[in-house]
Amino acid sequence: MSKYSEKASGRAHDPLPADDLILQVSDLHVYYGSIQALHGVSLEVRKGELVSICGVNGAGKSTVLKAISGVLKPKSGSVRFKGMDVTGKKPEQLHKLGMALVPEGRDIFPSLTVEENLRIGAFGRYDAKRFAADLEDFFTLFPILKERYNQAGGLLSGGEQQMLAIARGLISHPDLLMMDEPSLGLSPNRVDQIFDLIVELKSRGITILLVEQNAERALKIADRAYLFSNGKVEFAGRPGDMTDRVDITSIYLGGHEGGDAE
Amino acid sequence: MSGHVLLEFAINVLSMGSLYALIALGLVFVFGICKLINFAYGEFITVSTYVLYFLGTFTDLPWPLVFLIGILSGVAIGFLSELTAFRPFRGRSLDALLVTSFAISVILQRIFQLGISPRSKAVPYPAFFNMNIELFGVVTPLRNILMIGTTAVLLIVLVIVMNHTTLGVAMRGASENFVTARLMGVPANLVISVAFIISGFLAGVVAIFWSARTGSVEPLMGSSPLLIGFIAVVIGGMHSLPGAVLGGYVYAFIANVLSLTLPTSVLSYRDAVMFVIVIAFLVLKPEGIMRGNYQEERVG
Amino acid sequence: MRSSMSMNKAPVTELTKRSAAKVFFENFDFSRKTSTVVFLIVILVAIGAFIWWLNIPFIEDIFTSSAITLIMALGFQLYMGNSGILNWSYVGYVGIGAFTSAIFSMTPALKAMQIPTMYPFLIGLHLPFPLALVAGALVAMIVAAVVAWPLMRLSDSVGAITQFALLIVINVILSQWSKVTNGPRTFTLGGTRLTTLWVTLGIAVIVIIAVYFFKESSLGLKLRATRDDRYAARSSGINFVAVRYFGYVASAFIGGLAGGLYSHYILSITAASFYMNELFTLLSMLVIGGSMSVSGAFFGTLLVTLARQGLRQFELFLTRSGFEASGTTEIVVAVLMVVFLIWRANGITGGGELSWFGIKRFLRIGAVKKEKIPKQKQQEEKV
Repeated sequence: MSKYSEKASGRAHDPLPADDLILQVSDLHVYYGSIQALHGVSLEVRKGELVSICGVNGAGKSTVLKAISGVLKPKSGSVRFKGMDVTGKKPEQLHKLGMALVPEGRDIFPSLTVEENLRIGAFGRYDAKRFAADLEDFFTLFPILKERYNQAGGLLSGGEQQMLAIARGLISHPDLLMMDEPSLGLSPNRVDQIFDLIVELKSRGITILLVEQNAERALKIADRAYLFSNGKVEFAGRPGDMTDRVDITSIYLGGHEGGDAE
Repeated sequence: MSGHVLLEFAINVLSMGSLYALIALGLVFVFGICKLINFAYGEFITVSTYVLYFLGTFTDLPWPLVFLIGILSGVAIGFLSELTAFRPFRGRSLDALLVTSFAISVILQRIFQLGISPRSKAVPYPAFFNMNIELFGVVTPLRNILMIGTTAVLLIVLVIVMNHTTLGVAMRGASENFVTARLMGVPANLVISVAFIISGFLAGVVAIFWSARTGSVEPLMGSSPLLIGFIAVVIGGMHSLPGAVLGGYVYAFIANVLSLTLPTSVLSYRDAVMFVIVIAFLVLKPEGIMRGNYQEERVG
Repeated sequence: MRSSMSMNKAPVTELTKRSAAKVFFENFDFSRKTSTVVFLIVILVAIGAFIWWLNIPFIEDIFTSSAITLIMALGFQLYMGNSGILNWSYVGYVGIGAFTSAIFSMTPALKAMQIPTMYPFLIGLHLPFPLALVAGALVAMIVAAVVAWPLMRLSDSVGAITQFALLIVINVILSQWSKVTNGPRTFTLGGTRLTTLWVTLGIAVIVIIAVYFFKESSLGLKLRATRDDRYAARSSGINFVAVRYFGYVASAFIGGLAGGLYSHYILSITAASFYMNELFTLLSMLVIGGSMSVSGAFFGTLLVTLARQGLRQFELFLTRSGFEASGTTEIVVAVLMVVFLIWRANGITGGGELSWFGIKRFLRIGAVKKEKIPKQKQQEEKV
């Protein structure tokens, strides 16, 4: 039973028209074999929002993204995307519908060039003209990609690969961009860059679901956040409401005891 | 060593190597995307060869059409076997896949025995195919030259497709990281089917040149090219297409060198020597000569 | 939370301090675990005795050859079931044992007559049948011991191809080394069939016991740990290369033994008898019966043998009716194998052993507490 029993769903604060709801996850139960990883997770993302999922290692944050994006099939519960029930659909189908994932650990294709990585990113929704136009835009957002355009992805540095992974997610003009721990393993400079980039993307109106262990930074830029622990949503609401509560900050925002980590 | 002998050697190595390279490519296309070693690949070749036999013996179709249909039947068996037999096993353990492909190979072999004949049949070829020609003083069957030329053309086409079409790029990505490719919208069914189609296509081409040498077809003939494919793939690298091609040529080179240099008493062991080399490669350099970008088991 | 460091130290030092045998018997749950062996042996001996009593040579032959196949399957299971690695080269060792034991058991005069080109020192060798059998098994084991060490590191696709390549090497050598095996020609043993029903039965009983106790021994346990989770096993201090090596070599010994029995049963062998077809048959038995348990090998052999006999009769019937039917047996078995792989990859036994405990649970006799043991399924990756 959660200590933080006030599961403040965003809806309680400001009711909005239903078609603004890009993503609606209801009561998701996900298992790895016989081990339950998610216990009845529910969350929502509305158009234009930046929603952040935070929590310690092993709390189930990545699992949620995998379940939403179709990599894992949930045992029960539902995922609705743009009003349609997409529970259990295949990843490529979801991508075509407008969902893009920037995977944990970047996961770019090392033997493919930057250009080829981007081309794959747009596979389901590829349009030659738009691709060319997008490239121009991307080179302003990610100047480093212009330099490395014909180099193999494996040769890029960690930060550059992260840029590439994000660009690859954007190139299909998704309705929902999901990012799994983009700042993981990057130097402080790069981390700044990434978060600035995310803010920039938000300002362009892109809907973002951000999974981040670096809760301090994530909560600074998010509209709403969900705090995960042990596969459950422990708290949901606006970052402002969270930082006020000392118990939350001590557990999720820095003082993490390794105790319950799975 | 006189120029003659050298030229003859070169032609033998190149023509043999071309054939072996195509066999290896057929295996690696499927392995790269599905991580499946297709034991039934030899039977793809056999199917095509039987089609050549039937059309050549019982119909009057012109040989270009016969060859074409032969190749298309390779494509068909490749596509169909994936659809019916391999698809249920997606995502299963490696051993399950291996055993399955082994079982399918056995089933196909028995179907040939039962449905057609356990005895070998003669496959008719157009006369010019096996005609000897003279090239700078070296006499060689025309099919060897055709083999080299066909392979060269096919390789160029494949390079263009894999590097300059979106589908090719998608397939290369999928063979590196299947799940991430799907997350980018690359459909799993599409790339796997295409891999099998290309594999079947290559099997069809191999069929034409393989049985031209023996002039016959029989139910179990698929095991020879299959083993050759294994060797070539191991030497050249299981995880890269250029590696497979290279492996084919290197194998042909080594085999020809062994044929020339081994004393006749030991010659019958040539195959054993080849496989010992294979084992040595696997133990010492499992990724072959050309390392792809596959990462074997990421720990943690 | 207890520190994981202290937890692991205790058992390891315990094991090294006390003798292995003492630990073995202390930890061995006799009532539960011997029941399997007892059951299997009883079933086997009962069938054997019944068939002997029937005194129909044809059926006796089927039983004897099936018992030989059972021994082969058990050796195969020893490595495959416990390590999780399919040993594609196994039938090669069966072949080595077959030829070697034949060379030892045949009299010099007979050898000189049958295979005149054989090396003189081989012609001179002669041992009584039991010792010849053991010699065959030993030679197979030694070959495995010499060759296998560097191969044990390899897993997955590379490992499979390596074993497969090894099988081919053994096959080529066996079929080309005329001075030893008469090359591709048939190697005829001549004489009387030394492998009788009771000989085979006796050895089968011993092998069942041996394979089962291997599985339950600490070596077997360690091997199974490497099967289930390679990395956890390594971090528990299990040298998985060494453990696999011993399993592989032991498996080769049993294979060689089975080979020796086979050659003295069928009385003429060629290298081709120990190649793909035999491998396929063994595979089908383990897939259908279940590769993870001794009972699986047992029942798999039983079922597939019965199926094949039945199908053979069917084939004969078809042929007499005018249809071309040879090969039907293999197709049906292969299809069965694929079906099992799709539907029930762990075979009929599913990795469990036939035991008194299991039977009780099945019949719900007595107060058997049903603990819910989670099945170790693989990760739920959707493909």
